[in-house]
Amino acid sequence: MENIGALALILAFCLAIYSFAASIIGGWKKKAFLIVSGERAVIAVFALITLAVVILLNALVTSDFRYAYVAAHSNRDMPVYYKLSSWWGGQEGSLLLWNFVLICYGLVVVLQNRRKHRQIMPWVVASLMGTQIFFLILNVFPASPFEMLAQGRNIVEVQDGNGLNPLLQYWTMLIHPPILYMGYVGFIVPFAFALGSLITRQPGEAWIHTTRRWAIVTWFFQSTGILLGAGWSYAVLGWGGYWVWDPVENVSFLPWLTSTAFLHSVMMQEKKGMMKVWNIVLVAATFFLCIFGTFMTRSGIVASVHAFATSNIGNYFLVFLTLGIAFTIYMILGRLDYLKSESELESVVSRESSFLFNNLVLLACCFATLWGTLFPVISEAISGERVSVDAPWFNRINIPIGLFLLFLTGVGPLLAWRRASTESIKRNFLLPFLAMLAIMAVLVVLGVQHVYALTTFGLCAFVSWTIGAEFWKGAGSIARKESIGMLPAMVALTHRNTRRYGGYIIHMAIVVMFIGFAGAAFNRDITVEVAEGKSFQLGKYDLKVSKVDMGQNENYVYQNAIIDVSVGGQHFTTLKPERRIYSKSEQPVGAVAIHRRLNEDLYVNFAAISSEAQKPIIQAYVFPLVTWIWAGWWVLFAGSIICLIPSKVKMSYAKTEVLGVAGAHAKVAK
Amino acid sequence: MQKLRNSLLLGLVAGLCVAQTGDMVPPEVRRVGDRLACLCKSCKNTVATCQMLGCHYTAPARLRISELAKQGVSDDAIVAEFVQKNGKQALAAPPPEGFHMLAYIAPPFAAFAGIGLIAWFVRRHRKPAQTVQPELSEADVRKYSDAAAKELERLEE
Repeated sequence: MENIGALALILAFCLAIYSFAASIIGGWKKKAFLIVSGERAVIAVFALITLAVVILLNALVTSDFRYAYVAAHSNRDMPVYYKLSSWWGGQEGSLLLWNFVLICYGLVVVLQNRRKHRQIMPWVVASLMGTQIFFLILNVFPASPFEMLAQGRNIVEVQDGNGLNPLLQYWTMLIHPPILYMGYVGFIVPFAFALGSLITRQPGEAWIHTTRRWAIVTWFFQSTGILLGAGWSYAVLGWGGYWVWDPVENVSFLPWLTSTAFLHSVMMQEKKGMMKVWNIVLVAATFFLCIFGTFMTRSGIVASVHAFATSNIGNYFLVFLTLGIAFTIYMILGRLDYLKSESELESVVSRESSFLFNNLVLLACCFATLWGTLFPVISEAISGERVSVDAPWFNRINIPIGLFLLFLTGVGPLLAWRRASTESIKRNFLLPFLAMLAIMAVLVVLGVQHVYALTTFGLCAFVSWTIGAEFWKGAGSIARKESIGMLPAMVALTHRNTRRYGGYIIHMAIVVMFIGFAGAAFNRDITVEVAEGKSFQLGKYDLKVSKVDMGQNENYVYQNAIIDVSVGGQHFTTLKPERRIYSKSEQPVGAVAIHRRLNEDLYVNFAAISSEAQKPIIQAYVFPLVTWIWAGWWVLFAGSIICLIPSKVKMSYAKTEVLGVAGAHAKVAK
Repeated sequence: MQKLRNSLLLGLVAGLCVAQTGDMVPPEVRRVGDRLACLCKSCKNTVATCQMLGCHYTAPARLRISELAKQGVSDDAIVAEFVQKNGKQALAAPPPEGFHMLAYIAPPFAAFAGIGLIAWFVRRHRKPAQTVQPELSEADVRKYSDAAAKELERLEE
């Protein structure tokens, strides 16, 4: 079986090369049979990679420890779902996951476009297969998941494997990597269409219309993947940090920022025929940042708890990135004539300008994050001295940027397309601005002094008001006209332009998440050594360690502390944090207990037993508003789904042309 | 046998911890530790926020901070001692001096460059106003402007 797995990958590699070459030659020489043949080769590559995946999964589930990968990342006593998740627990398997997700996307693109976009498709397939070839090279040569354990010339089997990293044995890790990969790998599709459009000198926005849904879907997966990672970090690492600006977290954030910028600026191209070069740059930047993130995670260039073991595959990534970026720049420069703007800005104070600033802020955040991530390496290379760039630096730079972005989220809907008059600005800004001031004043009276938190809550009120007003005004108009209630009117309004109102709901999700982020300003924690039967205080909570138990199952031995929590003398809840040592890895891992509520989480970690007094050491935390971050995902999910539903009213955007700016008493002559 | 071995392991891990009562992270450690990076290589926290009990870097660092604070050493002097011992990487953020100023200058510089780019874009994509002949009265213009603005708003809805 192991030979079949390896052979399947080698054949997939050869067929990917064939598909790449056939598509290029077919597209170039206009040979239909080569183009179709290249597309069919994609289907064959899919079948072969799927076969390799099935063989690896079978080896993991059946604990076939002749495979080096299975022995290194699983063990017999692991539950079957963690055995399956061992697929992406190591370097080789996670690269196979990349390959699998990539070819799944490739297959969908080929099947969806059998009769569409025939001019671009050969180049789309070539772009997809070019990337596939690169990842198959990694899986076939330096990082094969089908390497066997051998002694001399004989294949041998170990009794049991090392097991999956205990930190990865948590439910979100069952879905976090595949979803994240679906987001990052998925951006190859808009990029491939953009490249195809450049190569074939397509005028207009055909590639944008085709890939709009892809972009939204992959953006949603990126967002979900990042949030699942944050949720894992919060619940598993034992100290409640969901984001610490770790290099691996940062590199996952970079393409999200550029793809978010793309989703906004693409509207400028759709509605005004502007920013064509910029959109190609953004979609390419997103794709290459995804590859760059994979490079950073796997090359060992920066130290991170999330990174895979250092390996030699970093150089392969550098070569791919260099070639890919050089080719893309060459194509963009060569096609500038086809990417000219079709219309012009009428006013600096307009929705168009707000998109420009939105892009600027997102990219400023992207640059700052990239700069902070790489600065230790740059500093060491230039000054010979390594420095640390940790959370304090990132917070200092990125919090103001984030707040400005939140402000723009509220400003955008208040500005009209083309030109916003001073009167309309005054009229539209007054109430949201007053709402912001009112919230801030109330919070100050309640004793909130943290400047960033105050600003965040104020801006959240500002943005919520603007979004609410958009729905209220639109739905009110429909309700009056059609004599229906406000709720059905809101549904009807949303259905009329799902992208616009779905987008507003996504903005609302961002507001909800920012409320959660702001809660971090009020975190409290305590680390205490406390005897059984004794209690300690954290804020209003009285925590009593009632009992410490010990036990074991097949996978680990554990100690847990039963902690009764009371508030004002009344029983509030009982928490049972646990400390585990996994039998295979012998790695101690905490299983925290969290009492989640909308206003604050009570989070307890059983850190250890003290050596001298043999008392439990408990770390207790209060995390205000953190649940809002996870709640924000549900809003984001709803908004994304709405964006994907076709609008009831088909929008067609006539390109506007500015004939001139007329002053008072003016007549515009055509 | 396995249980015994695991129990021993638990005991060993626990042995890393130092017995203490009350909050084990006193205020001076939180204050000074916020300026110092945890150099354990497995987290990106500061000495104040690293929550790994027995962390080979943070645990002794906290003890040292407490010790120096009790001796009346100022926060800056404590930080300076860590820098002297471990180099500038002991700081949680690059020192704003010399080459490391770039860490702080580059992001705003990039943002301003972006603003410059937007200004260039706006200038390039705005047509200059045409010379036009006055023909209507101010009241007429206002009336038509208002009507146009209302139409535009309706379109937006």
